[in-house]
Amino acid sequence: MSKTIMIVDDSASLRQVVALALKGAGYDVIEAADGKDALSKLTGQKVHLIISDVNMPNMDGITFVKELKQNPSYKFTPVIMLTTESQEGKKAEGQAAGARAWVVKPFKPEQMLAAVSKLILP
Amino acid sequence: MNLDQALITFIAESRELLEDMEAALLRMEGQGEGDPETVNAVFRAAHTIKGSAGLFGLDAVVAFTHVFENVLDALRDGRLAFGGELAALFLECGDHLQGLILRVEAGELDAPPPPVEAELLKRLRAFLADEGSKKAETAPPKTQLPREKEASVRPLGGNGVQTDHWHISLRFSPDVLRHGMDPLSFIRYLGTLGQVLHVQTLSDALPALTEMDAESCYLGFEIAFASEASKAEIEGVFEFVRDSADIHILPPNSQIEEYIRLIHELPEDDLKLGEILVRCGTLTDSELTRALADQRAGEEAGAARPLGEILVESQSVQAPVVDAALDKQQQIKTQKQQETRFIRVDADRLGQLINLIGELVITNASAQLQAQRAGLSDLIEATSSMARLVEEVRDSALSLRMVQIGATFSKFQRVVRDVSRELGKDIELIITGGDTELDKTVVERIGDPLTHLVRNSMDHGIESAEVRRARGKPATGRVILNAYHDSGSIVIEISDDGGGLNRERILKKALERGLIEPGHNLSDREIYQLIFEPGFSTVDQVTNLSGRGVGMDVVRRNINELRGSIELDSEEGKGTTIRIRLPLTLAIIDGFLVGVGASSYVVPLDMVKECVELRGEDMAKSTKGYLNLRGEVLPLVRLRELFDTRETAGGPRRENVVVVGYGDMKAGLVVDALHGEYQTVIKPLGPLFSGARGIGGSTILGTGDVALILDVPLLVRVASSHEPALTA
Amino acid sequence: MLSVDTETKDGVTRLHLKGDLTIYSAAAFRETLLELLVPGLTLEMDLGGVNELDTAGAQLLLVAKRELAAREGQLKLHNHSPAVIEVLDLLNLAGHFGDPLLIEAH
Repeated sequence: MSKTIMIVDDSASLRQVVALALKGAGYDVIEAADGKDALSKLTGQKVHLIISDVNMPNMDGITFVKELKQNPSYKFTPVIMLTTESQEGKKAEGQAAGARAWVVKPFKPEQMLAAVSKLILP
Repeated sequence: MNLDQALITFIAESRELLEDMEAALLRMEGQGEGDPETVNAVFRAAHTIKGSAGLFGLDAVVAFTHVFENVLDALRDGRLAFGGELAALFLECGDHLQGLILRVEAGELDAPPPPVEAELLKRLRAFLADEGSKKAETAPPKTQLPREKEASVRPLGGNGVQTDHWHISLRFSPDVLRHGMDPLSFIRYLGTLGQVLHVQTLSDALPALTEMDAESCYLGFEIAFASEASKAEIEGVFEFVRDSADIHILPPNSQIEEYIRLIHELPEDDLKLGEILVRCGTLTDSELTRALADQRAGEEAGAARPLGEILVESQSVQAPVVDAALDKQQQIKTQKQQETRFIRVDADRLGQLINLIGELVITNASAQLQAQRAGLSDLIEATSSMARLVEEVRDSALSLRMVQIGATFSKFQRVVRDVSRELGKDIELIITGGDTELDKTVVERIGDPLTHLVRNSMDHGIESAEVRRARGKPATGRVILNAYHDSGSIVIEISDDGGGLNRERILKKALERGLIEPGHNLSDREIYQLIFEPGFSTVDQVTNLSGRGVGMDVVRRNINELRGSIELDSEEGKGTTIRIRLPLTLAIIDGFLVGVGASSYVVPLDMVKECVELRGEDMAKSTKGYLNLRGEVLPLVRLRELFDTRETAGGPRRENVVVVGYGDMKAGLVVDALHGEYQTVIKPLGPLFSGARGIGGSTILGTGDVALILDVPLLVRVASSHEPALTA
Repeated sequence: MLSVDTETKDGVTRLHLKGDLTIYSAAAFRETLLELLVPGLTLEMDLGGVNELDTAGAQLLLVAKRELAAREGQLKLHNHSPAVIEVLDLLNLAGHFGDPLLIEAH
């Protein structure tokens, strides 16, 4: 049974490349454009890992993770946050919200795949 | 979906982001400050581009955006103050990024960066340097994985243990599971880097069921691991739990002191741990005995044994939780952006759909015709309800290609800003009607003519500040872009509050150039239209904006090619308004089918005002080229003469006049038969007909015959003015 | 989600577990175990329907085993699903539970 990963980022091209890499590795992928979109797509189905950008319109990644932690179906789902090396402050905010894993933008598809594999294998 | 398609998405996305960024920067520049929302929007654009560029390995884009982003970040954090210099620099950076994206598109990323890049980087870095050493510019990110293998760790002395595998001890903080981190996943991942030889699960910390919090983690693991991986790679496995676990990693053949120290540091009983290490194969029995004996001896001696350097730092400190700062951040209101969901569709595919619908329209018209001929009322009914549906499908397909003109207008903020600086004039751009929609294919082609007209208004229309003051006008000049729908067309207006056109000067010049005959009595409007004639120029001084070899005649030609028209209103001293009228779409029109002799012609329906039958006395008058329409003089165009139509046997029994209007001009087209409304797909004319004036396109009728689509704007203009006779 | 069917027959209580024995169901499953655990109980767990097992689930099995043994009862695991076998293998716990595993031929 393949594992499902959700990628939340406002860049469609980033989502496409990440989704390509993950699907190639054998994961199922759900895409969402921002936190709000992501919440609307999390309707109780099993999601094993969520990758979320921090800086997004409509609902940023920090708020999204906070909302996630309130949702009984997803509160323990691991979250990889995408950040830039210049956003140390955001990292503290993300930690407070409940995120523990970070991948620094920009990253290569294989780097994302390695990070994901540490948390969940396909 | 493959990587190439994703790259196309990236290019389109970057363009949009850069356009948004430019708009935001111009807004900031206008306000003289950057409100947090706008600054964040600019930052996000750069951030997104950098992030996606990295994924595609576009290192040139990443490297430049990185420095740009650092400066934006400093601005966002309030470490830099916003100012005009910064705004100008950011705009230039946006331009440069646009250039880089173009290179990506052209596949020329390997070309050396243009000289401007070094200069921009220097200026950006100057701001970072100004900001002081509070936060040094972060190093450009590495997009490569650390691939270098560390030299394998070898014991220095002869005290190394025999085993040649890694030993890993893991103890997790209780919260680790709640954070979504499952220790099992790290052990599984280790298996991808080498061979997990042995795992010992420690449940000593597990409390009684009554005491236990089922969501806390109580298990620990001792792992024997054989791998060629470097220490950094093995450490990397646990990067996400570094803050919430006690991790000890001992390389193969470590000094025995390391193991002693490990045993000592772990919470479990020393003896038990020792046994576990033996069970893992990490230590042999004799090594364990020696180790424990050594340790005891050391303790008895009352002095700490000198232990070797620890090879792996353990970090068991829980990350401090920063709540207070967070709540404050949350108070910053999040501007609700309009929620729009888009699907990106290849324009070609959309074009193909619209073409197919065009064919469907024709085929259905043919079916309707056959039904009528057969006189089968059921079939007629069926085909006409089909026609209604096809019409709806057509409309919704066309609406897919409709875009708001606002995005095109917004680009002029930048043009106006740059040109007004160039000219040393203070000019503001006001945009209205940005939500007016028109076909994307039209939008793509009006950019250049619009740019020319806006520049023209700024250059020749708006007076210098002194002149404006002398005339009692506000010092800041004004250019207005406006758009609205009007009877099946879109009208785009470019107005300025400048000096207006000088009627006398235009007349004089037109006479000099031989564009008009002396003694002609021309209306103001006719005079103003003269500036669209080839070779006409009224400028006395040539600035570096004019004299580009692009005249108003070229603008008019461009607009005409879009089946549009251009006209001009002006009041001296008050300003000028140029009005461009364009069809909403270039693909399909509702037509009115008329017959002249054996030929059929289509008149765009939205231009048909009424139809009049020519009676006896009118017939006579009409030969003079005019008709009295309820007291109004209506110029006539005889299609029969114009196109030298092939006659049907017996000639026409009667004639009709189709009254057409365009803008506020009217004319009558003299035809034989009125066939009624007809939906028409426009087929471009072949090169053979490209010289035929008065014809805008062709279409195929349901009968298979070809009908020509009349270029009504041109015919009206010819009929009501003094344009040269229409001959091909 | 985890569903647990309980059936008591001949002094043996059987639990049929269906779904995910993970952190999402751990707290509820702990409650179930707390209600069941009486001295001398023989508890059989049918793990055939377990799709997922994580650390939270594994440590509950460990606790149950330990507590029952301490009260002269016993825990028997049987009909292990592939997900359960994978975890017991990974953590080297099969021997600890001591239940016969049905290893499928590859």
